[in-house]
Amino acid sequence: MLSFFKKRPYLLFIAPGFILYTILVIYPIAAAAVISLYRWNGIGPKTFVGFNNYIELFNNKDMVSQLWNALSHSLMIFILTVIFVIPVQIIMAYMIYSKVRGKSFFQVAIFSPQFISTPVIIFIFTLLLDANIGVVNKFLESIGQGHLTKPWLGIPEFGMYIVWIMISWAGMGVGMMFFVGAMKMVPVDCLESAYLDGAGFWKRLITIFLPQIKVTILNMVLISYIFGMTIFDFSYLLGGTSGGIERNVDVMSLFFYRMAFGDTNPLGGNISQNSMGMGTTIACVLFLMIFIIALIQLLIVYRKEE
Amino acid sequence: MNKHQGFMALVIKGLMWIYSLITFSILIYMIYNSFRTRQDILSNTFGMPEKLNLNNFKKLFVNDHFYRYFLNSTVILVISLILITLLSSMTAYGIGRYKFKFRKFTRIYFLIGLMFPVQLGIVPIFLLMKSLNLIDSHASVILILSAGISMPVFMLTDFFANLPNEIYEAAIIDGAGEWKTFYKIMFPMAKPIVFSICIIMSVQVWNQFFMPLIFLQSEAYKTIPLIIVKYTKNLLSTMDLAMAASVLSTVPILIIFVIFSERILEGVATGGVKG
Repeated sequence: MLSFFKKRPYLLFIAPGFILYTILVIYPIAAAAVISLYRWNGIGPKTFVGFNNYIELFNNKDMVSQLWNALSHSLMIFILTVIFVIPVQIIMAYMIYSKVRGKSFFQVAIFSPQFISTPVIIFIFTLLLDANIGVVNKFLESIGQGHLTKPWLGIPEFGMYIVWIMISWAGMGVGMMFFVGAMKMVPVDCLESAYLDGAGFWKRLITIFLPQIKVTILNMVLISYIFGMTIFDFSYLLGGTSGGIERNVDVMSLFFYRMAFGDTNPLGGNISQNSMGMGTTIACVLFLMIFIIALIQLLIVYRKEE
Repeated sequence: MNKHQGFMALVIKGLMWIYSLITFSILIYMIYNSFRTRQDILSNTFGMPEKLNLNNFKKLFVNDHFYRYFLNSTVILVISLILITLLSSMTAYGIGRYKFKFRKFTRIYFLIGLMFPVQLGIVPIFLLMKSLNLIDSHASVILILSAGISMPVFMLTDFFANLPNEIYEAAIIDGAGEWKTFYKIMFPMAKPIVFSICIIMSVQVWNQFFMPLIFLQSEAYKTIPLIIVKYTKNLLSTMDLAMAASVLSTVPILIIFVIFSERILEGVATGGVKG
């Protein structure tokens, strides 16, 4: 026995992490897939129903509309992030990489919202956007644009945009620092020759840096996608379990949470007869959507590297 | 080389200033209001405050035992970080250092966790924790957060795999066992990467909302993010406390961040390249 491990010392190194990771990360996903084939509320009897939960999810009119609503909001976060946030992060990273004056100050100021927890962010933005005591309306009034004042949080159409603004404000710095790190890896002689060829400041960003940090950009796109699909805190805190007024801030994870744990409170309230079955079904659909995109991404990146 | 950036750069610089100023204004707004009474915030929002005082903080600590939640969050953070560091560096060392049959498979196996956050499997995890009687205990949250080692393992495996073989061989020849070689020689060399892992993970753990929400139900075990939600839920009656609690949960961390900002940002930047 002892000599078995002596010959394979890696087993002892890997084992503790492997066991915990398998039990709490891999097993739950497999188990969720199994539960999704049953009709079950978590306590009562379990009936095997095959793929009926999936069929119900995609055919029941109410479920489809909730699914589509949540999915479109999740995708919206992802698309807005890719179109607006990632380019801004790259440009800011480029300025910091180029040692813009006040570099340390900018880094600290732009990164620091990362350390503010979500409930605090929601709380502060709720106050800022409040119709009566909000700073935003007050500001609009003071610059003579009083007609633009609105009860921002009371308008359903604005809900997801406000969520997106909060996420972007808090998350801007991390992506920016990732890009700074990637830019630092770009070989200097590459840059110097481009400089000698007369490529300007911005042209160097496009012709040298963007191709060199392509993998980081692709990774950030994937991270944004996973993030959009799994974002929970913001919608839950802003709109509660039901996802706000007319489910205006509902997202995929919240939809899943509502189905699995009921509409009112964590682990209580009106749980349906099939809460666990339907909840895990949504989780599995969500998992597949993430998995397929992640796989495509991996294939693209690995192809490039080979 | 970085001169002649042109008009465009000026615009960007302007935007960066605005961005930073907004962040600072939000922080100052929060701190300023935490010293005001509730009536003052609500009815005299934009006027000069009647008086600034520390009553909100006093109420938090004396009546609501705020330090308890601070302690809860700290316990979860410290134990999770120790576990994550230990488990991920050992695992990564095992995969990176040694050649064995299922090495590639093991690497990919640990990568899977990057693709889906734990909350997707929350139903089975919940049932598991329930059967282990760990609901409403810090242990459940700590174990779940410590199991998410995909990113650290990924970052460290490359590091250990790229260490020159001679170091390992020299240590073994000197009579150090496998374990001693790891913690006396190899692990200390990985310190910069371990540091950036700790930074990235500690932000995640400290601000974690979902897991504590599900597993910590009684008041005494709750963490700071959960307690802030308790105050913000009834905004009109506890707005002053919500302000003070927000300040207490944000400002100390920001001060630590500013002091160590150079190292932390460096760590995040290098971590991002690998992750």
